[in-house]
Amino acid sequence: MRFSKKTMAAMLAAAMIVSAVSACGSSSGSTGTTAAAATSAAATTAAATAGSSDSGAAMSDSDRIIAAAQAGKVGNWGLGNEYEIFALLTKYGQENKFLSQAFDMDGFDDDSITLASAMTYNELGLVKNSYEGGYGYGDTVDIIDMNNEGVAMLEDNLFTTKAFAEANPNTVKAFVSASMKGWKYACENPEEAAQIVFEAGSSVSSDHQAYMASEVKKLCETDTNGNKVTDYGKMDENAMQQTLDLAKQYIKLDDSTAAEKLKSLTLDDIRSTAYWTDASVGKFDAPEKKDVSIQLKWLPQAQFMGYFVAKAKGYYDEVGLNVTIVSGGGDIGETTAVNNGTVDFGVTWVSNLISANAGGMDLLEIAQVYQRSGLVLVYKK
Amino acid sequence: MKVIKKIIGSKLFITLVWIAVIIVIWEVLAFRVAEVKRTPENVLPHLTGVVDSLTSSKTINGSQTALEMVLENAGATLSRAALGYVIGIASGFVLALLMSLSGIIEKIAFPYLMLIQLIPILGMAPIINAITGDIAISRIVIAAILTFYPVAANTLAGFKAVRREAHELMYSYAANKFQLYTKTMIPACIPYFFTGLKISAPMAITASILVDTLQGGIGLGCLLSQSLKGAMTRYVFWDIVFFSAVIGILSFYLMGVLEILLCPYKRLEKKGR
Amino acid sequence: MAVKSISKRRSAVQSVVLPLIFGAALITAWQTGLLHILLNTDEYVLPYPTRIITIISENTDKIMVNVWASVQVAVLGLLLGSLLGYLIAIFAATFPKFGSGGLTIVSAFNAIPIVALAPVIINWTKDVSSEAEVRSTFAKIIVVTVVSMASMSVNAYRGLTELPVFSDDLMKTYAAGRLTEFTKLRLPNSVPYIFTALRVSVPGSVISALVSEYFAEYVIGVGRQIRENILIAQYSTAWAYIVTACIVGIVMYAILMVIEALVMKKRK
Repeated sequence: MRFSKKTMAAMLAAAMIVSAVSACGSSSGSTGTTAAAATSAAATTAAATAGSSDSGAAMSDSDRIIAAAQAGKVGNWGLGNEYEIFALLTKYGQENKFLSQAFDMDGFDDDSITLASAMTYNELGLVKNSYEGGYGYGDTVDIIDMNNEGVAMLEDNLFTTKAFAEANPNTVKAFVSASMKGWKYACENPEEAAQIVFEAGSSVSSDHQAYMASEVKKLCETDTNGNKVTDYGKMDENAMQQTLDLAKQYIKLDDSTAAEKLKSLTLDDIRSTAYWTDASVGKFDAPEKKDVSIQLKWLPQAQFMGYFVAKAKGYYDEVGLNVTIVSGGGDIGETTAVNNGTVDFGVTWVSNLISANAGGMDLLEIAQVYQRSGLVLVYKK
Repeated sequence: MKVIKKIIGSKLFITLVWIAVIIVIWEVLAFRVAEVKRTPENVLPHLTGVVDSLTSSKTINGSQTALEMVLENAGATLSRAALGYVIGIASGFVLALLMSLSGIIEKIAFPYLMLIQLIPILGMAPIINAITGDIAISRIVIAAILTFYPVAANTLAGFKAVRREAHELMYSYAANKFQLYTKTMIPACIPYFFTGLKISAPMAITASILVDTLQGGIGLGCLLSQSLKGAMTRYVFWDIVFFSAVIGILSFYLMGVLEILLCPYKRLEKKGR
Repeated sequence: MAVKSISKRRSAVQSVVLPLIFGAALITAWQTGLLHILLNTDEYVLPYPTRIITIISENTDKIMVNVWASVQVAVLGLLLGSLLGYLIAIFAATFPKFGSGGLTIVSAFNAIPIVALAPVIINWTKDVSSEAEVRSTFAKIIVVTVVSMASMSVNAYRGLTELPVFSDDLMKTYAAGRLTEFTKLRLPNSVPYIFTALRVSVPGSVISALVSEYFAEYVIGVGRQIRENILIAQYSTAWAYIVTACIVGIVMYAILMVIEALVMKKRK
């Protein structure tokens, strides 16, 4: 009797241990299927490409989007990054739903996501390349580009609050001027820019940083139609309008007051070209506020190389500014930080600025750094 | 003395056995994962890989190795945790004292004391940030809020437990309220106070790692989320997971040691055994 | 006697009325903008209660869908975690030598920050189901399970081992077997400790359910909504969900209190 109880307790304990590591257990159990998938992808590339070439010929991008949407396997990070995906899904008559994608590409690797969101300069590089952290898919993957699909929304810009811009016009112009000089230099010398960002404390590996700089350069110098842009930070009227129109259509706000305000927003409510125009011809005086800070939209990396270059090359010093660069990527978004005055400038996506203004903030875009959308959907051929 | 040593020794031994079992299970699974994933370190890395990442002299960013980075950021996070912890302890103790002194304060504050731990404080972080206007202060304030409840609740329980007997005794000595508290109530609730301290010490650390993730800058949480977002090798993430677990447990024991050092009753208890 | 019962009743009334007065004062200060002045903030970051209530009433259906998802995760995780925690405690009490070491390990889980735990567990449970909704829910439940396991195992272990003085000897003089000793002495003795543990882990389960939603693949839940709305700078809507989360926590806590009162009454 006593003995059996002991064994019972032991069995319970065993059950508990098993269930405690059940998570691992299930992943190991599952590995059977993914194992097959991964080995077939890696080892038998030839077979895979052969298979894809005959199915690929039949499968157009629209088929691919519809198939993934029907299976619920379109991925995006959400949190304000999903509107272009919604626009794309709507274009192909699909429900506006996506799977929340983690910040790595594991979901794409194990096929739980077949159409995964990727920024050309970041995740796409990790998927294709085989340096540290990369998945090494090389040319076995292909992309659907938001620009080609006509659903591009503009991303990384430079903004501040209306109140700050009105009170410190020369600071704003000086900051825009020096920053765009930094962007110009960075785009002309992407490899050096990548190194500068790395030395400024970014932990992104040198290889990936260099890849990122070369891709970011393309976003700064090409517009949504594929034409070359020579004015860094220029606000293209048509692209801005398209972004605003798509934002109005796809940003869904539960707050009825904010939703109404969103519908009534015009370009003049979200941006001013005056500061950039003056800055580009050097028409400004000594800055009113000398110590300023800028919060990035994400972690310090070549995505923001222009600001790091401007700081490292002393462009900010030249115009009399002392600039602090604040890293982003946390729950206190750049719009909030700029709005409450903890930082003076910010980098955000135009759609995020639009929803912030709809919610009651008074933010103002002062330069548009990226001239086209960097978002793509990546799939295995 | 010998007996105590033996007990400690054997308990340590058993814990080590447990750790060994877990390591074996972990490694077996890690081998499976390594076979089938392109990036096994994202799911379950080999422990040797984690150790390697700490001992490696390869620099992660411009100047620091993984170990240097973790330690530097740990310094920032732990000092914020300590500051938030001290503020949380102080305000928790004072509130418990006030609640014990005044029935009205107790009645008003008690439901709200409960409520505080039901509020998703992380969701309110941007609001606290807007109020304090400084991310560093916000981080300390949030860590303090998250740790103060266990201290307040346990200390109050201590006051309540000793109130009756102590009251009767001290009234018979015709002691005033000040004497009542300094001579009996506060000393008597110290064990309860330490229970609160022990519970909240690891909480203070996890809380400050949590609030690190709110914005960039220096801190273990910043590193953790950067590593998770692919901005540096994933091993840094695992380093921090293990590091925080170890530090959390150590903080618990540190409070126990502090209790033994500071409180005569504990030493007596030990000797009595 | 009569005086005493009156004073007792007055005290009971006071403990309801006083917090209510305080709460009403707080909300009044909030609605009138006094709170904004005191905290040096604006109506944007801290919207007026009326606006929050409007948003809640306009989006009741959507909010309920999210509430249901979060409550499911919190409750199932809490139950599973508490059960496992209790079983660990039984194991530890039965084999004290091996058990206490195991308890140390379990409490070590508590020292791992949930922001680190949640993404790891979500990665580990990727292959549970091909349905994203199912595997996400499963992963979230496991996160809550791990979080609520530790407090239950530590407390229940105390309840199972810290017995009233001499009760153990008394059982021995009755020549009770270990099973009898367990069911008649240890189990009942641990009941108050179970509730002590639950009082910690009920709020804990709600909070960890909300945080686990941040990382889950399937986009749903009150926590996820709070975060989405804060990141797209919709503070009024975020507040609506924060208030909802508080209500969920309070209701769950109240239910626990009622159950505790019923159980403890029965025991007497």
